[in-house]
Amino acid sequence: MKKVTNIISLMAIVGGITIAFTSCSKRDANSPGVEYMPDMYRSPSLETNSFSVVANADGTFDTIQTNRLPVAGTIPRGYMPYPYTNDTAGYSNAGKYLHNPLPKNDANVAEGEVLYGKYCVHCHGASGQGDGIVGSKLPGPPPSYTSAALMALPEGKMFHTITYGKNMMGSHASQLNEDERWKVIMYIHKLQYPNGEPVKVADTTATPAVKVKAKGKKK
Amino acid sequence: MDTTNNKQRKQISAVFSFLFLSIIFSIQPLSAQDGAKLFKQNCAVCHTITSQKLVGPGLAGVAARVPNDAWLMKWIKNNQEVLKSGDAYAKKILAESNGMQMTVFADLKDEELKALVTYIKNPPKEVAPMPAAGAGAAAPVEKTVNPLAILLGVIAFLVILVAILRGLSHSLKNIKREKEGLPEQAKLTAWAELKVWMGNHKRTMVLIILYIVGGFLAASWDGMMGIGVYQGYNPSQPIAFSHKIHAGDNAINCQYCHSGVERSKTAGIPAVNVCMNCHKGISKGPITGTTEIAKIYDAAGWDPEKGAYTKPQKPIKWVKVHNLQDFVFFSHQQHVKVGKQDCATCHGDLTKMTTATQMQPLTMKWCVDCHRKTEVPGMKDNPYYESLHKKLSEKFKNLPKDEQVITVAKMGGIECGKCHY
Repeated sequence: MKKVTNIISLMAIVGGITIAFTSCSKRDANSPGVEYMPDMYRSPSLETNSFSVVANADGTFDTIQTNRLPVAGTIPRGYMPYPYTNDTAGYSNAGKYLHNPLPKNDANVAEGEVLYGKYCVHCHGASGQGDGIVGSKLPGPPPSYTSAALMALPEGKMFHTITYGKNMMGSHASQLNEDERWKVIMYIHKLQYPNGEPVKVADTTATPAVKVKAKGKKK
Repeated sequence: MDTTNNKQRKQISAVFSFLFLSIIFSIQPLSAQDGAKLFKQNCAVCHTITSQKLVGPGLAGVAARVPNDAWLMKWIKNNQEVLKSGDAYAKKILAESNGMQMTVFADLKDEELKALVTYIKNPPKEVAPMPAAGAGAAAPVEKTVNPLAILLGVIAFLVILVAILRGLSHSLKNIKREKEGLPEQAKLTAWAELKVWMGNHKRTMVLIILYIVGGFLAASWDGMMGIGVYQGYNPSQPIAFSHKIHAGDNAINCQYCHSGVERSKTAGIPAVNVCMNCHKGISKGPITGTTEIAKIYDAAGWDPEKGAYTKPQKPIKWVKVHNLQDFVFFSHQQHVKVGKQDCATCHGDLTKMTTATQMQPLTMKWCVDCHRKTEVPGMKDNPYYESLHKKLSEKFKNLPKDEQVITVAKMGGIECGKCHY
């Protein structure tokens, strides 16, 4: 009898201690946890997306974003200026003179399809009918690629629209580089003409005002 | 016979009346409902039916502003022609919208235009506001009981139980002694009794003490291993952005916002212009309504009333969740573009998370474990790796079958200098 009580009391003590060790209070989600030598994470050098304090000439201090804007007029290496302005004239000029510099092959169209799936599909829909999930939540859906107006849209205008945005659509230049924009356009053409594009007669009368050669990043 | 004839006649007349009715309905002019549908399809991208400016001007009271309905229909169908004709009012509105021209809708039919104009002139009454936007947020709060409270309750219960049993046992013993004619025994204190018990059970006591000491050591070892490991870090952000709504419900690809992931070391936090690509049009969310999206407008300098970026811009102070120390090199491009790793492998299923949580420990052991068992997909077919793959498969061909897999580690992926230099 005594043995049984002993075993029970022993089990109670052991169980109690086990629970005490394993039941930790829930940690604060806003705290990263205990740190030792925090400089391993928080280096003395300034991190890109942080804030730093700068002294002004008059002795006051300002807290500003660490990554500063580049000096006005700075251009990245390999950058080609886009010569068409963000207005009606630029839009129509792009339609007239801007053409796809990339070869139209299966690899490029396939890449365009992948890019379309990442950057366009949620508004324009998988088939390009303007029936994407986000598109249906906008005040109005984006126009269908197969509508009369868009079937007649020259590729230069498409490029211009992706670069600057148009109407409800914003600029996607920060997400897609020039080559990628052309690849997306090639895929849109495939959506418009699933059985292959009709051969267009080249407009020989138009002389390009500015010759644009899209130069992708060297890989 | 007569009845069957009657039946047939009835059927025939029914068919005819149906045909007749369908013809009547099909030649009916398009109703206001069609106007609403046409408006949503063609106009709503740029115009609201209220006075709020979107891309083009709001259309409330437009019928009173334009010369007449016929002009409005002509304008909608082909505004370029109206402009070319030198119409004074057309020139005026072109100047008002800074020379931005409206899309031409040459394929709209006359009755469609009529339906549109009817709809624009008689806009529907303000739709009743959606059931309180906070309804989703105010879901019944789950009552969670603190496990510590349960533990304390159990302990308190046991203490009371032990006290009662001790008292009971003491009085029973005394009754027994009384029957045997022995004198009554004084009641010992709990501590004195425990000391007696401990004296009688030395071996058990040693075990208990060992267990307690071991437990403390194990717990402190565990705690020390967690120092500097941010796993589970889930900070609240300045804007209540929900990954679940964006990547889950709306199925927006991760790379739409984190577009640097295939091109750069860092996946990148999207600049506010990426938010505005959709939120220019969507100003109300399903959970927080307009309050959180207004913060985007504030950061972007967007004035929703005027529909223009006129206010000063302010950076959003997002809180960084995943942070690798400066002494380790990590590239997203390498892992996602070449290694074809899914975002969820390291970041968890964000389509179900509201704020991003650090799901993985991001310790060196975690990196090395993965490098030891992961094969670089597509390595066999990638011409860049052709010679390396040949060389490595030659080198490991004498190993047992399951060790022949060319993992990242076998390619040198756990060399110190790969990540620390």
